Amino acid sequence: MVTRIAAFGESDIMLIFKAVGIDVFPVTAGIEEISEAEKKLRQLAGEGYGIIFMTETIAIKLDQIIKEYSNKLLPSIVVIPGLGKRNNYAIRNLRRAITKAVGADVMAEEKLGANK
Amino acid sequence: MLLNVNATRMELLRLRKRLSLARRGHKLLKDKRDELMRQLLEVIDRVKELRFSIEKEFQSILERFVLAKAAMGPYQVEQELLLPVKKISVSISKRNIISVRVPVYAKEVSGDIIPYGYMNTSGEMDIALNDFDKFIDNLLDLAEKEKAVQLMATEIEETRRRVNVLEYKLIPSIIETIRFITMKLDETERSNVVRLMKVIDIVRSH
Repeated sequence: MVTRIAAFGESDIMLIFKAVGIDVFPVTAGIEEISEAEKKLRQLAGEGYGIIFMTETIAIKLDQIIKEYSNKLLPSIVVIPGLGKRNNYAIRNLRRAITKAVGADVMAEEKLGANK
Repeated sequence: MLLNVNATRMELLRLRKRLSLARRGHKLLKDKRDELMRQLLEVIDRVKELRFSIEKEFQSILERFVLAKAAMGPYQVEQELLLPVKKISVSISKRNIISVRVPVYAKEVSGDIIPYGYMNTSGEMDIALNDFDKFIDNLLDLAEKEKAVQLMATEIEETRRRVNVLEYKLIPSIIETIRFITMKLDETERSNVVRLMKVIDIVRSH
């Protein structure tokens, strides 16, 4: 199965994705625009985009939908850092998945171990 | 907890069969859970490293790109990148890790990354774009691995719940019910023997 790649995020960052031939959808993280972004994301997932890149600032607002799609084979939503302040959304998401599976926070344990 | 069944011999035989089936299922699911867990723990470290290195590299590329953009002026950049020549798509196949289907991406590209003539653009822009072009592979790799982790985590959770239900709920209650039925049948047996002895007594006294 061949699918296309989409990218979601601030228009500044989207240009670089556009250059490599990824379909870009500039959105902003404002309160009103976010429901637009939500609709757009669902539409993209329905249209069969295989991989969707998304910047952290947007991802944190669309957390609910990302969780929804995380259990499905398609699409794979990859959160990338944007410009400016980091919020480590992707790492937290990863940790959440692992905590769910193992029943304990494996990554935190490792950090404790490293400090010793 | 006792199952809601009749205390008969038939039911006892049926329950014994169910018990052995449940034990077998329990063992299989437990093996599946352990193996999935092992695989997950193996992947986690790699995903984490990949994630950190990618985030770092991506940010540096992004910074360079934004700087180049600032140097050239935003309108100019938008104009130059308006019609990308490069086309990218991924073909998705599935890989099976112990009945968890995870996607495998293969990239299909055509065209060159630089869609513009070199007249009006800066060298930094070319460098940033070329770097990003190489970088795409890593991003796809990350997408694949992170998805695998997510899917495996969900599957492990489900399997763990199943294992626990069998281990702490179904199997104990079947065992308890079997014991209950055996005792009930024994009791009926004994009362039968006593009744027969009583009957014999009565018959003999006549």
